[in-house]
Amino acid sequence: MDFLDIRWDMWGIIWNYRELFIRGIGITVSLTLISYLLGLILGLFVGMGKLSKRKWIYYPCKYYVDFFRGTPLLVQILLIHTALIPGIFGHSLGYFTSGVIALSLNSAAYNAEIIRAGIQSIEKGQMEAARSLGMTTVIAMKNIILPQAFRRMVPPLGNELIALLKDSSLLMVIAANDILFAGKVVAGATLRFWEPYIMVAILYLCLTFILGKVISYVERRFSNSYIPMQRRSLLFFSLRRS
Amino acid sequence: MIKVQGLVKSFGKLEVLKGIDYEVKEKEIICVIGPSGSGKSTFLRCINLLEEITAGEVFIDGVKVNDPKTDINEIRKEVGMVFQQFNLFPHMRVIDNITIAPKKIRKMAAADAENLAHQLLEKVGLADKANAYPEQLSGGQMQRVAIARALAMQPKIMLFDEPTSALDPEMVNEVLDVMKQLAHEGMTMVVVTHEMGFAKEMGDRVLFMDGGYLVEEGTPDQVFNAPKNERTKAFLSKVL
Repeated sequence: MDFLDIRWDMWGIIWNYRELFIRGIGITVSLTLISYLLGLILGLFVGMGKLSKRKWIYYPCKYYVDFFRGTPLLVQILLIHTALIPGIFGHSLGYFTSGVIALSLNSAAYNAEIIRAGIQSIEKGQMEAARSLGMTTVIAMKNIILPQAFRRMVPPLGNELIALLKDSSLLMVIAANDILFAGKVVAGATLRFWEPYIMVAILYLCLTFILGKVISYVERRFSNSYIPMQRRSLLFFSLRRS
Repeated sequence: MIKVQGLVKSFGKLEVLKGIDYEVKEKEIICVIGPSGSGKSTFLRCINLLEEITAGEVFIDGVKVNDPKTDINEIRKEVGMVFQQFNLFPHMRVIDNITIAPKKIRKMAAADAENLAHQLLEKVGLADKANAYPEQLSGGQMQRVAIARALAMQPKIMLFDEPTSALDPEMVNEVLDVMKQLAHEGMTMVVVTHEMGFAKEMGDRVLFMDGGYLVEEGTPDQVFNAPKNERTKAFLSKVL
């Protein structure tokens, strides 16, 4: 009976593979953070594009979101890594480039919807007040609408970050040596499955736990009821600086 | 100063303004009264083009507002607006609410803008609230900040869209007092209001609107004490 046959002496063997896991953590984290940042920037433009009245802006953004939300990420990864990039460059640019491209394009689609909804949730009167003072749409968006909308976007954007971290494990199919890949190597070498994959699960859990803490800090910091006295000191709050 | 000719505004099939002609002279205080849904607010919002104009023309200082060649932002710099729901920027302190437009639009230096803001806060009686956030203020205080915010652009005209309608009764007067002070200083004002007392006391002209038409116009004395139109009479008998 193999069921729940966890062998405690296996942890020593996993410890011998620690460098593989540590490198895996590095790869997973850097893939996630780089893709998230790119996905956020791209998502901001696509999200605002979906609010545009101009059809030549609106429709490309809409179809972009429809495509990347409507097809499996795994399919997108394979399309980009095995078809798109070799098609353009003639050879592969490595799993990392393909991975970042696939993950950021995919998360941008989800972020775009969050950002669009966040902007739309701001009362119409805010834009009217800003415009009535003589602000252009761009100035009003940057100084009045986005800073407020951003606060409402923090919780769902945080969810996206955690989802992206977990989704990055799909890059194993293009041989990204992330955490899951390390687990698979150990499993292949030792022919043990419980311990390596439990280790993988624990590592992902630790990472999502840490990210969860960061997100809830940011959420508190940016909540509407929070009235700090020295808000301006925060480095990345330059968006709000008037 | 403001000239409105044949102003028509439709929302889809619904025609809200059915041809308004009027001219506001410099330093005049115009009070617009009328039942809800009569188009008063829409009329006001067409003046600074917060609503697109369906037909007709609006001129401010001789510049046609609804001309595609006109930069509407240039006109809005000169036309302040105060809203029923205040529309303060909740993520900014009071002082930043007031300084943001002068800094971003008039390119005023930060120190100058803050000086101006402190003067204006003094004027509206809220000198001690500069560092508060809007949600820490009462309705009357918020509306006075909103007036200060509009004045910070040093406009030639002020538009008031039912500035006291969202206030608790005991806060109405503090806002009206600020508006009276402004009137005494010679500001050109168009005020959509349900405060008949204010219209009587401060208005140079009173406009009565109903059903998208400008039904009657005259001095407060004419309109309130000797209305000519039946609809004006009916309306005044209900509200006075």
